[in-house]
Formats: sequence, structure tokens, C-alpha cells
Amino acid sequence: MEFKLEAHRIVSISLGKIYNSRVQRGGIKLHKNLLVSLVLRSARQVYLSDPCPSLYLAGPAGSRGAAGVGGGPAGGPAPGSSPLKKPRRNSEEQPGGAAAAEEEMETGNVANLISIFGSSFSGLLRKSPGGGREEAEGEESGPEAAEPGQICCDKPVLRDINPWSTAIVAF
Amino acid sequence: MSGRSGRADIISTVEFNHTGELLATGDKGGRVVIFQREQESKNQVHRRGEYNVYSTFQSHEPEFDYLKSLEIEEKINKIRWLPQQNAAYFLLSTNDKTVKLWKVSERDKRPEGYNLKDEEGRLRDPATITTLRVPVLRPMDLMVEATPRRVFANAHTYHINSISVNSDYETYMSADDLRINLWNFEITNQSFNIVDIKPANMEELTEVITAAEFHPHHCNSFVYSSSKGTIRLCDMRASALCDRHSKFFEEPEDPSNRSFFSEIISSISDVKFSHSGRYIMTRDYLTVKVWDLNMENRPIETYQVHDYLRSKLCSLYENDCIFDKFECVWNGSDSVIMTGSYNNFFRMFDRNTKRDVTLEASRENSKPRAILKPRKVCVGGKRRKDEISVDSLDFSKKILHTAWHPSENIIAVAATNNLYIFQDKVN
Repeated sequence: MEFKLEAHRIVSISLGKIYNSRVQRGGIKLHKNLLVSLVLRSARQVYLSDPCPSLYLAGPAGSRGAAGVGGGPAGGPAPGSSPLKKPRRNSEEQPGGAAAAEEEMETGNVANLISIFGSSFSGLLRKSPGGGREEAEGEESGPEAAEPGQICCDKPVLRDINPWSTAIVAF
Repeated sequence: MSGRSGRADIISTVEFNHTGELLATGDKGGRVVIFQREQESKNQVHRRGEYNVYSTFQSHEPEFDYLKSLEIEEKINKIRWLPQQNAAYFLLSTNDKTVKLWKVSERDKRPEGYNLKDEEGRLRDPATITTLRVPVLRPMDLMVEATPRRVFANAHTYHINSISVNSDYETYMSADDLRINLWNFEITNQSFNIVDIKPANMEELTEVITAAEFHPHHCNSFVYSSSKGTIRLCDMRASALCDRHSKFFEEPEDPSNRSFFSEIISSISDVKFSHSGRYIMTRDYLTVKVWDLNMENRPIETYQVHDYLRSKLCSLYENDCIFDKFECVWNGSDSVIMTGSYNNFFRMFDRNTKRDVTLEASRENSKPRAILKPRKVCVGGKRRKDEISVDSLDFSKKILHTAWHPSENIIAVAATNNLYIFQDKVN
């Protein structure tokens, strides 16, 4: 459970970094974005392979990414993030909002990012699971297979990943 | 030595020239400042040569790439000196996209007594000229001028991270994230691509080039490091495109240290040949490693710079510190190596005695001629009086760039927008 929360937090932070890199002076830094995408991939693998039931985490994902200089807990859930179950109703509304946000983000530079970092990133933004998402990740079966389990594209699990939409909507 | 407050003054590179007489710094605002060591005088024996400002010039300006809608930063990423061949000094400076060759020369005489113009340069009325004279050179106040002699542009799609002058003194290389180009100093409209690791499909990208350097004596050899923690030694005689390495240096990963951030902390931020050419030194986020060119499967020495950060990697990822690129340097005899850390600390490791020391570059602790006191970081348990706890470290004060005089124990340490120069105690 802890791993899942930590992984979720790291995913949110990573998405934020990739988004911010679009507006940074000097253009997208390839090296940094590559490293961030590697962290994103590791965190996502841990998140998806953790056998806990899927969570509806309260609060905007971005707020836990507050960067204190050298401070903050190194691991474990951020303070105040006790998992809450959101009413089913909200999750119906979320996809609508998320879709709008995703469509907005799909244009322009994010499309470039997707083409650079490929399916492992675009899979996060594509709302409907399945499709070309998992089989294109040949590179994932490399050293990262050391992480628990190669993820199978399990449609029910993926459909429940509302925290992903939450992370995207926050940006 | 201090700069004005503001981000443009942040020092981004420091480099001594081959004799140590000059010290160049580049900053985020595209400026280069060169310091020159005072000649030692017999009258003031106790005053070892100090470094004073010799020349300041604007090397790079911000540019805008209209095709890609990208701003190109003017920050100077690297400066490398050419060996001195005449009275003038030459250096290469580079930002993300363009390398420039600068000539720095002194002018201490000027011609006086022209026939056709007066001392202010105004044209004289020819009717008033009744005699002819030869202009003579008269002394003037010393003026140091920097002129751009070559501009090497439009050869890099990605961001330049390294430049290195070849020991043949005729060529140099520039490296970006995916490619390395070889230049001749005389030719600016062409360069040879000698390394290209760009995959046909960018979705397959797994590593980038992080630093590159020519061998100090063998003009055919160079090394480049990668974001995966590997180093490749290449021989330009083997083929025109050096995609196949001669040697491949990689240490097997320690599985017990695996975390979300293992890949980031193994990315090499700097690679430097020893002066002897026999070793290479690499810096990753937590360690400095020395490799013997004859042994590819592991480094011969590993030094922990600040291992107490290993448990803080998640926070350091959040505040972006984990992406900081620290450099490392050898001393003149290759017996001591030095690198920076946080809280304005920098570390020196003596390879022979295996002793190490942590020092701090700060105004409070650095009155002129004061002796630097070793510092210690407390990693847990009871903190002693002079120690600093890990949680008190200031991560905004980082020492990324340092330089060591080629033959003497003089070091230059860049702490954000301040430059510190430390010398060995004179007995």
C-alpha cells in the first residue's frame, strides 16, 4: 500500500516536471526528460503491480509535490493523504474533465514529448486502456523487469486508474 | 571576489589555462571573466601571486530559433583554453548551440603622429599639411581586448554539454546529447560527425551522451560518458564514425541499492582524463570513480562524496537537486581529486593516503589568508559541536564547478555567483 502511494506521488511529480520542461527557457532538455521518464516508468510499474485494490486518493495530486529544500519525507505517504473513497458520481464526472484536459494537452508540444518518449508515456495520457499500449513497450522488458512482475494489460484495473486522470487534470 | 545579486551572475564554468597564469569563468548571462595572476615580486615575498580581473567580455547573447520557437540560452556551458603559441591567448567558449573561439590580446602602445588626421581622429584639412612625418608607437595604458575569431554554429541539434581541445592543437570536438562533432579551428562551415547515438526511432532512446574529452596525449583517442553510467573510449583511426567503441567501461549495478532513482544517480555528470592519460575519473550523483584505462569491468577507486543523501533521493528528486551536474578535477600530479557538494562544501580525496577532507567556500569562513577548517556532516546520532546535520544543509548552495591549477596547489571554487580562490599555505 505504501509503495502504491509513493509511486503515485512520484508519478505526479514526474508528470509535473515533464509539463514544466515545455515552458522552460532554452527548450526541452533531452537528458533530464529522459531521466524523468525512466523514473515515471519505474513508478508506474510499481504502482500497477502492487496488489492493493485501486484507490481514490483525495486532494489534487499536485499539492503533494511541494518542494522543500532538502526537506520532506524521503519515503512513505505524504502527510494528510489518508486514502478516501470518492463517491462513484465524481468518477463519472472526472473522465469528462480529464478528456478535455487531455485533448488540450495532446496538441502542440506534448505531442512532441509523446513522440520522443513513446508509448510508455502516451499510454498514460490515452484515456482508454489497451490498444497499442503494452505491446509496444518492448524496451520495458529490459533491466526494469527486475521490478515486481511484468505488467499485463488488465482492462478492469486500468479503467479504475482515476488517480492518473487526477494527475493530468491538475496540470 | 563577488558578483552582483541576480541569476545572470551565476558562474557556470571555471577553467585555468595551461600555465595557470590565467583563470577564466563563464556565467549564466553569457559573460566571460578572465583573471590573471600577479607576477610575484621580490619586494613582497609573502604575497603569493594573486588573481585580478584581466578581461571581461560578453561571449554569447540569447538567441531565438524561429523555426522551432525556442529560446537559446546564453549561458556559457564550458570554456577550454588553447595552449599559448604567441603573445595572445585563445579560448573556446560554448553555450547550448554555438562554440566561439576568442582571442584575448594586450595593447600597450598606440600609433601617434598621423599625417591625415589629428590626435582625436578627425581629418585634417589637406591644405594645412605642409610636412610629412612617420607615425611612431607610443606607450599607452594597458588595454586588454577580446575579439571573436571564429564562430562554429549550426552543427548541433541538441544541447552542447562538452568541448575538448585535441592534443594536436588543430582540432577540437563538441558533444551534445546525441552527437559528437570534430572541428578544425580554421574551418567554421564544416564539422565531422564522429559519434552519433541517435536511434532511428526516438521512442527507442535509452541513453544520452553526458560528457566527452580527448586523451591528453593521443590525438586519436577520446572518451565519452553516458546517462547510463558507462564510458566509451573511441579511436578515430578505426573508422570515420566512432559508433563502435574500443573500450567500454561499466560497473555492474549493486542490486541492494536499487530504487526509483537508481538510473538518475548513475548518470555520469563529468569525465576527466588524468594528466598522465592513464586514468579517467567520472562523477555521478553520489560518488567519484577512478578507472584504469586497462580495466573495463570496474573502477579501481570509488569515493563517496555525500552518501548521506542516499536516503533523501525522493526529496532531491522533487526539488530537482538530483539533476545537478557536479564536475570533478585532478590536481597537477594526479594524486588528489576534488569535487563539489551542497552547502558550499567541496571535497578532496588523496588517492595515496586515502584521506579525504570536506571544506566550505563561504564568506564567513574565508577571510584573506585564513586557513580553511575541515567540515563534517553528521549522519545520525549525536551531533558534535562543529558538525552540521544533514537536514540543515542548504541545497541551494551547490558547488558544481571547480578548477585546479595545472602545477601548483591553487584551486578555484565557484559557489553560485561567487568565485573563491584558495592557495596552499606559504611556509
